[in-house]
Amino acid sequence: MLGEFEYLLITVAAGLGENAYGAAIREEIEATTERRCSLGALYTTIDRLEKKGLLKTWMGEATPQRGGRAKRMVRVTGQGMRAAKEFYEVIARVSRGASWAEIR
Amino acid sequence: MNGFAWKLIGLVSKLLERDERDAVLGDLLEGDESGWRGMLDVSGLVFRRQAALWKSPRPWLAAFVVTFPCSYLLMRVSISVTCTYERLVNHKLYACWPTGHEGFPLLLCHLVLLIAWSWSGGYIVGSVSRRTLWMSAALSVAPVAFCLCMSGPGFPSRVCLFLFLLPAIFGVQRGLRNAPISSRTAFLLAATITALMISAWSNQALWVHNWALVLPAWYLAAATWRPRSGLRSVSHAGAGQI
Repeated sequence: MLGEFEYLLITVAAGLGENAYGAAIREEIEATTERRCSLGALYTTIDRLEKKGLLKTWMGEATPQRGGRAKRMVRVTGQGMRAAKEFYEVIARVSRGASWAEIR
Repeated sequence: MNGFAWKLIGLVSKLLERDERDAVLGDLLEGDESGWRGMLDVSGLVFRRQAALWKSPRPWLAAFVVTFPCSYLLMRVSISVTCTYERLVNHKLYACWPTGHEGFPLLLCHLVLLIAWSWSGGYIVGSVSRRTLWMSAALSVAPVAFCLCMSGPGFPSRVCLFLFLLPAIFGVQRGLRNAPISSRTAFLLAATITALMISAWSNQALWVHNWALVLPAWYLAAATWRPRSGLRSVSHAGAGQI
């Protein structure tokens, strides 16, 4: 099963779609969780997920905004989506009846 | 981000692989991070990457089994060679570094051995621990730095301490480039070193601990030796990714 941060990363990367790369994923995670996300945690987690076959990464285009440096693009694989879905379902099941879990 | 912080970040990020360095530095520029946070980010990532590398025994072997003891021994040989040269050419004697009875042939023998030992040791370190080379480099300089601090009057030129470093650096460079070395060359190198050492030993001009310095050359020969597999570098023999 995925870890919390792995789930976050996969979900954010899937949401960003074609625009998923290091800086964008980090910005989205920080905005959503209101917590700091270090590049160290981000890139080592991306590597780990890629080794598990849950993500695919490649070097993308370089832009002037990035000083001519390439982006590391990220795409969630089918296996990654299944793992994230499984994590979500487990969290949803285990949260049923918990006082902090609101039913909307 | 100010210039100094950016330079520092650039320096630290050199410990990352090229693609990752590009991506990380680009992310920092795009995010317009403060120098402090950028530095924290990059050093955090470098720390994690290095920690992962040190889970393998190879960097430990390269740094603490090859580099540190070999540097110490090679530094002693460098001093010994310098003292012998001073005695033979300038008739200058150093009380704390007796040079025995060596003449020019043994001096030449030691000089060749010094170069060959340093080169083969450097090659092994370069090919086995390329991404943890900074630790091996620091450990190779440590005995020299210690000796520099301790050296007083009656000590030969301080430059002599660094004699072994130049061939070692050439060896490291070749190891880093994955430059193939044929098994024949590797065996020839190891055999030549051994023959020269036997010659020096039989003339009572070899410190017993220096026999350890032949090991990198024989390791190189063993690593390149593959029956019918052609001539490959030591890194191709399964050493190179750390």
